[in-house]
Amino acid sequence: MTLLEARGLAGGYGGADVVRGVDFAVSDGDCVAVLGPNGAGKSTLLRLLAGVLPPRGGVVELRGRPLAGWRRRDVARIVGYVPQAVSFAFPLTVSEVVQQGRAPHLGPWRPPGPRDHACVAAAIARVGLAGREATAVQRLSGGERQLVLLARALASEPRLLLLDEPATALDVRHQLALAAIIAALRRDGVGAVLVLHDWNLALRVADRLVVLRDGHIRADGTPADVLRPELFRETFGVEIELVPRPDGPPLIVARSAGTAEAGRS
Amino acid sequence: MRRGADLVLVAVLLAACVAALLAGGTALPAGDALAALAGHGAPESRTIVFGVRLPRLALGLAVGAALALAGAALQALLANPLADPFLLGISGGGAAAATAAFAALPAAALGLVPAAAMAGAALATGLVWWMAHGPLGPSPTRMILAGVAVNAAASAVILTILSLVPSPRLPGALAVTMGSLASASVGAVAWLSPYVVVPAFVLLLHGRDLGLLATGEESAAGLGVEVAMVRRRVFLASAALCGGAVAFAGVIGFVGLVVPHLCRLVWGHGTRRLLPRAAAAGAALMALGDLAAHRALGPVELPVGVVTAVLGVPFFVALLRRSP
Repeated sequence: MTLLEARGLAGGYGGADVVRGVDFAVSDGDCVAVLGPNGAGKSTLLRLLAGVLPPRGGVVELRGRPLAGWRRRDVARIVGYVPQAVSFAFPLTVSEVVQQGRAPHLGPWRPPGPRDHACVAAAIARVGLAGREATAVQRLSGGERQLVLLARALASEPRLLLLDEPATALDVRHQLALAAIIAALRRDGVGAVLVLHDWNLALRVADRLVVLRDGHIRADGTPADVLRPELFRETFGVEIELVPRPDGPPLIVARSAGTAEAGRS
Repeated sequence: MRRGADLVLVAVLLAACVAALLAGGTALPAGDALAALAGHGAPESRTIVFGVRLPRLALGLAVGAALALAGAALQALLANPLADPFLLGISGGGAAAATAAFAALPAAALGLVPAAAMAGAALATGLVWWMAHGPLGPSPTRMILAGVAVNAAASAVILTILSLVPSPRLPGALAVTMGSLASASVGAVAWLSPYVVVPAFVLLLHGRDLGLLATGEESAAGLGVEVAMVRRRVFLASAALCGGAVAFAGVIGFVGLVVPHLCRLVWGHGTRRLLPRAAAAGAALMALGDLAAHRALGPVELPVGVVTAVLGVPFFVALLRRSP
């Protein structure tokens, strides 16, 4: 069943639209990776889908109803949005930040109860930060802060996660842990849309890839549909080689167009 | 530990009230004040306790709670630890409007002074907000600089009015710039109370939202906060608290900065937990500060703003040194 759907979506900041004419839908349990060059509009698309940036054209519907007709709190119970970074002006502790994820379930007056505390503890454990509850977030590394933000979103028990570059500051062990968390969530029917730069990580976590360039969707489909050399040439200006692996998705090796210099993307 | 700290806070607040009633301004031995409180004693002592000390205490409590609440709320809303009604020019804007109202309004309409102060405070808030926004969103530094500009403009307005205003009105207008509880009366407390009770309720209602806003507007929106609506309400509520405080007690600095940060040391940085405690602590600090202002220099009474500045300036310097 379609959970979140955008039709003819356009939006941006100041003068120009950063995202234009985007049609996009996710169903329960889908895991979609959004890729594209810097400035393609990936983060803007995620903000529009989360409803934290109002669209200038088109519509985003959650369970068939336009986001504008929802109370923000009810959206936040279903969609967990994790921005790239959050500025912590005050030294909140890890558990205080993750506790914020319960806000959509608590009214203005109700203090958190046992179930809320259990959710918070489970979310902290899930991202591997158990034992660090009392640490101030400002003392954490960039990667650990991203995990805290993920835990905060998990604590709100969403049906869909919108993650803006959740892996950027993560070391390789934590990237694998992130992939495992996403896989486990999918088994519970929780979907995810992730903005990623690492194609190999995208292939590991997602079964659908969306490629964005200049605010438009250039490709949307399974890895087999999307992993075409001409698409990479057009979109990123690079040549790719797919190295088959026996036990998983192929490894993508990219090199600058017209040179022999190879590097792993 | 926090439960214990709550009890200590309540005890300090009660002690401050008792001390203000027994030993506040206007010479009266503590024994006579105690007798008056118990319902005995000479009529003069009862007049002093109930007609002078009690309204002054009530005004101090309300003003202290208002400023501390506004400070704590603005710090969260603006995600800026240096936010304070005084530093951001909100109190200054309120004072300029209150001075103008004192000078222009007939005596019968002086009840409108707090409304004017609230409008001035709201205007100053809007100006600071507008100036603090650059192409990349608000910056804490630009916000403080905007406060400097608004304060400078407000004091220019106040000085202009004071040089133009006819002398019979001067004391009222001058008191606004002083920061003192000397004008306390039963009527003043009655006029002020809606400017404190309603906004305080609004801020407590949005305590959880404010805690989320302290991590940024986008992050708050993602967690279900109706950002534009909450921002509007919190701005108006803070302006009402500051305007009310300024109209009856003048510009009293640093309470909104010092009190929330002291409370953070004890109760942590969660805004929902912080707001009611900051209000109680602000009330206690103002009652004790006024007592100190009375007693520090013997018969000469200092404006309570001097006491809060003595406490607040070193605190502000320390906070500034630690901020990035």
